[in-house]
Amino acid sequence: MNLRLENLRLPLAHFPLEVDATLSARVTALFGPSGAGKTSVLELIAGLRRPAAGRIRLDNTVLADADAGILVPPERRGIGYLPQDDALFPHLSVRQNLLYGTRPARPRPADLGFEHVTGVLEIGHLAERRTGTLSGGERQRVALGRALLGAPRLLLLDEPLARLDGPLKERLLPYLRRLREEFAIPIVYVTHAPDEVVALCDEVLVMETGRVRRQGAVADLFAPSAQPRYELRPEPPPAF
Amino acid sequence: MSPEIWQITAFTLGVAAAGTGLILPFGVALAWLLARRDWRGKSLVETLVALPLVIPPVATGLILLKLLGRRGPLGPFLDSLGWEIVFTWRAVVIATAVMSFPLLVRTARVAFEQVNPRLEQVARTLGAGPWRVFLTITLPLAGRGLVAGAVLAFARALGEFGATIMIAGYIPGETATLSLSIYHLVQLGRDTEALGLLAVSLLIAFGAVWTGECFLRKRPA
Amino acid sequence: MHLLPRLLLCLILPGLLAAAELNVFAAASLSDALKELAPRYEAKSGDKLRFNLAGSNALARQIKEGAPADVFFSADEAKMDDLAKAGLILADTRRTLLSNTLVIVVHADGGAAVSTPDDLATPAVRRLALAETQTVPAGIYAREYLLKLGLWPQVAAKVVALENVRATLAAVEAGNADAGIVYRTDALISPKVRIAFAVPAAEGPAIAYPIAVLKDAGSGEAARRFADFLASSEARTVFLKYGFLPAAR
Repeated sequence: MNLRLENLRLPLAHFPLEVDATLSARVTALFGPSGAGKTSVLELIAGLRRPAAGRIRLDNTVLADADAGILVPPERRGIGYLPQDDALFPHLSVRQNLLYGTRPARPRPADLGFEHVTGVLEIGHLAERRTGTLSGGERQRVALGRALLGAPRLLLLDEPLARLDGPLKERLLPYLRRLREEFAIPIVYVTHAPDEVVALCDEVLVMETGRVRRQGAVADLFAPSAQPRYELRPEPPPAF
Repeated sequence: MSPEIWQITAFTLGVAAAGTGLILPFGVALAWLLARRDWRGKSLVETLVALPLVIPPVATGLILLKLLGRRGPLGPFLDSLGWEIVFTWRAVVIATAVMSFPLLVRTARVAFEQVNPRLEQVARTLGAGPWRVFLTITLPLAGRGLVAGAVLAFARALGEFGATIMIAGYIPGETATLSLSIYHLVQLGRDTEALGLLAVSLLIAFGAVWTGECFLRKRPA
Repeated sequence: MHLLPRLLLCLILPGLLAAAELNVFAAASLSDALKELAPRYEAKSGDKLRFNLAGSNALARQIKEGAPADVFFSADEAKMDDLAKAGLILADTRRTLLSNTLVIVVHADGGAAVSTPDDLATPAVRRLALAETQTVPAGIYAREYLLKLGLWPQVAAKVVALENVRATLAAVEAGNADAGIVYRTDALISPKVRIAFAVPAAEGPAIAYPIAVLKDAGSGEAARRFADFLASSEARTVFLKYGFLPAAR
């Protein structure tokens, strides 16, 4: 896939978001401290916010163009979105949540069938439960399943492990790996935890105060360290 | 209860229901706009909506009287439709509708604001258009609050007096609500008969407000 | 030094004592005439007048419930009798000052086609404005008259009852009632209505406006003086100007 964020600009609370980047990896990390604007980038890609300037193109389709006044609404972008709070619909059962996005008449890849997705994420047995009775980890997996069953062509995950404690995080990591292996859907993964970047992602965009400071392969930008297990390598000195 | 009291009670319940029904679609729509959208002049709209709650009901009644009277600005238009408003049951419905409107809008607005917008956003990314989101996510989640708003508006409509007496007057059998009838009996010095109507009013009002409050209380987790 | 202040006091005190404030409860139909007479009397006497103008029944009820009234000027004897029975008036100050006649009014601008009382029963009059017919004098008189003509059963369903005769007039002025029955004096002050039929005094009900000073009046002397003024020929000229009739003898 080729996701082009062209001269995007969006005023935020303390600084403007200004991003110009191309994402083409299988799993791309958006890495940076809280408040860097990572969630806003996801919202722009998903169509939940409109850019003040710039263009967004996914493969051959223009999703947004501030100058030309184009803004494809979220329901027509085919982009799945998992916000930081899983946003499960509290008034619907797990099954109803999972099936919510399965109406659109887009052709579904065979690997995104209900049985397969719930099997991979091991949530099939939760189908008739109410969302309020699920544990934190179960909620995240159901939210993932719901997004996948919408047959998106791109998946945006906003810090899916942030609200989970250590052991729970460890338990969920394999599911995210399975996500990567089992389903051929490109992913943009927002996080501020280096070990998640290393464990799951191919490329990383480092963001700070609304701008992309660095971009490159994860192996190039991250180095092992004592604790946490990985840390960002220092920037190479500018070449003369 | 005498047949007269039955008739007056039935009439009062009927016009209160009609008035509430009249404002329901528009009030809910406006509440949604106030909860979810921003626009220039929004504060003005909010103030106008709140006015009937704050200005004296008779003042509201006077404004309606001037607007809807046969020789008022809307007079010729209403005449052409064959609609007579002042001093008819229609005036009672309109008076109760106007006075209940702010209560409905405020309660409904809070109900909508309590629905997490993230849920609506995620629903959109799952392929649901704005109408489907409204019907399957927003409305069910705001449901209890909306019902509470309607019930409270209904309760307010039951007790309406000031605006009603201005544009509907007291015409037995045509515009006589419980509150108007109580007033009339007191004017005639028939206080004890008024007490009977008073008891009925209190009973209905109690029931209506109790029901409304039940819906406002949070659903047990 | 003693003489000067005492002299001043003697000059000021009577003025202070005489400057009474009178609460006058009067029938709504007397509004305009009283408003014209008030400044004249205030200038002459130094007293201040405060008017409470409403339907005589409402005024009587307020007085019975203890409202501070000094003078009561009613539009019918029944309300005054009521207060007399309750021992609230000074009987020796009671007298009937004025009379009035009834008229049927319609809007001055293309009002309903009414030229006789019988026309009130026709479909041209869908709503008839009357003051409340069981309590307000103007309404009682009107109903009495319609009963006498045998028209009451036919028009009763069309009646819109208003709180007092001025509200009745306003309903016709606003076009919300097709016709109304008010006093001739009310019709005369409104350019927005015209008299469709004037009830001859001999055929109409006996309308009487009694006045009395109340027993609990704040300043009985000032109240009596005002009542006397209203009975004077100077006041009568003004009342007659507005269309009132002298009290029937």
